[in-house]
Amino acid sequence: MTDWIHPGLVIFLGAFLIPWIKWRRVRLAYFLLLPLVGLALLFLTSSGYFGQIPAWPGALHKWQIPFLDYSLELGRIDKMTMVFAYIYLIAAFCMNLYAFGVKNNWEHVAAMIYLGSSLGAIFAGDLFTLFFWLEIMSWAPVFLIWFRGTRKAMGAAIRYVLWHHFSGACILAGVVIHLYHTGSIELTRLPWGWGGEYLGYNLMLLGFIINSATTPFHSWLSDTYSEATPSGSIYMTAFTTKTAIYCLIRTFPGVELLMWLGAIQAVFALFLAVLENDGRRLCSYHIISQIGYMVAGVGIGTEMAINGAISHALCHIIYNALLYMGAGCVLVVVGTAKFHELGGLYKYMPVSFWLYMVGGFSISGFPLFNGFISKVMTIEAAELIHNAPIYLLLEGATVGTFLHTGLKLPWNMWLQGKDEPPPNIRAKLKDSAFNTPIHMLIGMSILAFLCIFMGVYPKILYDQLPFPVEFIPFTTTRVFSIMQMFIFTFLGFWFLRRLVTGYPTYTLDTDWPFRMAGRKLIWFCEEPLMGFARLMDRKVMEVVDLIVWISKNPVAAFEIKRKEMLLSGQRLLSRPGSAGLCNQALEEEKRKYPGELPGLTLGASIIFILFSFLLYLALYLFAIP
Amino acid sequence: MSFLRRYPKRFFWAAFFIGLVASLILDILWLRSDILHYHFPFQYVPQFFAIFGLLGCMLLILIAKGMGYFISKDEDYYEKDSRRQV
Repeated sequence: MTDWIHPGLVIFLGAFLIPWIKWRRVRLAYFLLLPLVGLALLFLTSSGYFGQIPAWPGALHKWQIPFLDYSLELGRIDKMTMVFAYIYLIAAFCMNLYAFGVKNNWEHVAAMIYLGSSLGAIFAGDLFTLFFWLEIMSWAPVFLIWFRGTRKAMGAAIRYVLWHHFSGACILAGVVIHLYHTGSIELTRLPWGWGGEYLGYNLMLLGFIINSATTPFHSWLSDTYSEATPSGSIYMTAFTTKTAIYCLIRTFPGVELLMWLGAIQAVFALFLAVLENDGRRLCSYHIISQIGYMVAGVGIGTEMAINGAISHALCHIIYNALLYMGAGCVLVVVGTAKFHELGGLYKYMPVSFWLYMVGGFSISGFPLFNGFISKVMTIEAAELIHNAPIYLLLEGATVGTFLHTGLKLPWNMWLQGKDEPPPNIRAKLKDSAFNTPIHMLIGMSILAFLCIFMGVYPKILYDQLPFPVEFIPFTTTRVFSIMQMFIFTFLGFWFLRRLVTGYPTYTLDTDWPFRMAGRKLIWFCEEPLMGFARLMDRKVMEVVDLIVWISKNPVAAFEIKRKEMLLSGQRLLSRPGSAGLCNQALEEEKRKYPGELPGLTLGASIIFILFSFLLYLALYLFAIP
Repeated sequence: MSFLRRYPKRFFWAAFFIGLVASLILDILWLRSDILHYHFPFQYVPQFFAIFGLLGCMLLILIAKGMGYFISKDEDYYEKDSRRQV
């Protein structure tokens, strides 16, 4: 067990110590140190301290633990796991800096558990271990949402866990079916196709598709990330979806369905983003759109496409955290990220604006920013398989991405052509150009530096990718065509800029049928089902009451009932009103009921008993065969 | 630099229009002299990326606004008629 130390497990277990450290400074230093410890362990691993990592697709196998009849593998280390883990930990360090000012220690704990479990999933070498860590990953963010404390956040957290438990159940079912047929739990490339014999694999694919927020199951992402705490949501942007992309690359590379889903998703999310009014929801739709590139890359499945998907996932972690931090800054400082309440903030938060813009340029794919070096790889892969629709969809998504994150969001939040923000927002700002807390700006600066550094010097990323890269991103053709496209995108935006200002609306998404079905189910339980139950209750009680009433004095009761029936018969035959007197006599009789119980004579009693015996005899002779 | 600081908006627009015109001219020149290499025939249409960017952007906004007629709801759409207040 000492031949390797699991960085994910160290962070996972270390997270629980955070709230027990009394001194605030020590606690925060410890909180910052956790990802650094993880990074140090990774560095030791990649430098060969625990054994040399063989060339792709070879892997270093560590921590194989016997469990029942199987061998669980907690550490499968190869080029792909290393590059994912490095980026996770570097990003997590910046996120921890950003979350420095959070008062709630348990939020830090949840974030570090989340980080540790996603590292665990990355290092998992078999399907059971992967499932175990994925389940922890589906719980940790729930607390990051809950700690927001609003009623909407409560609901969003529950929906989050419902989606992820459903996907977890799908993955587990798939794993069990796979295990039943093959007897193997190795995490490796799986076959895929339509039809009954592929049921398990389809279930697993469905689980990963939900986890990676692929259309049409993307709505949980925009629904829940925008309700999380400002710093908690930043952790969420990075880990869940990218881990799912990692799983897809491991298990289902080259599945054509994914190529189409990804390309459609890249564009579809942008349509919804146009209507969005909340800055963080808009960024969420951009996560979904960018995931489209990765999923399409996995679906194309060539070496270049897989490289493109991995590098895009990693660049995406960095720039999207930056975007979310930018929108989160505004939320922290002025308390809202809704476009219709903002505008003109530039004068008071210029640094966070420019840091955000670095992220905005990166996600759009400007040359010399890191989105460019990864995005063109996937697009080039689509060009090389000569699939024009996929190419056009992905290129169109680039246009839309620039339109939203590069233009719409900064325009609506920081500019809107105003010099001063609205008065109620202005009241929350100090008279300086530095309204954002400094630790947030430091965290953002490191990420912004990484965005530019990787964009200028892509070799540092390309060398870490599993397949050898002979790809030069900066060609005249690519740089020129993308710049021309962006110039004209800006022109289009400027013509229609009035249309993309925010309105206080909520945009329905593909989760509408599910949420409506849930609502209808609750309505069905509360209204018709409960109504039926109450009706049944009343009817049964009426019968019981009647029996109790009759048994008080059966003779008089039957007399009253007989008279009642006679009376109703008379009423039917005669004119209305004539039965009044008779009715009054009956009412009198009912009021006196049960009255005096009639005594039974001896003879009547004997006859009654004999009659009972007779009934019993008849039953005995005829009814029982 | 002082011009940029004094008139940032004017500087931006000047740079923008220079870039716009330059891209239109360069596209024709470079396509003729075979500097640009593409994979699909439609990419060789003159000014393809300019048209793609402009039309793509405007269509995206207009179609989305059309969709908004059906799917844009009040902010409390899901909270509105839930009777149980937490």
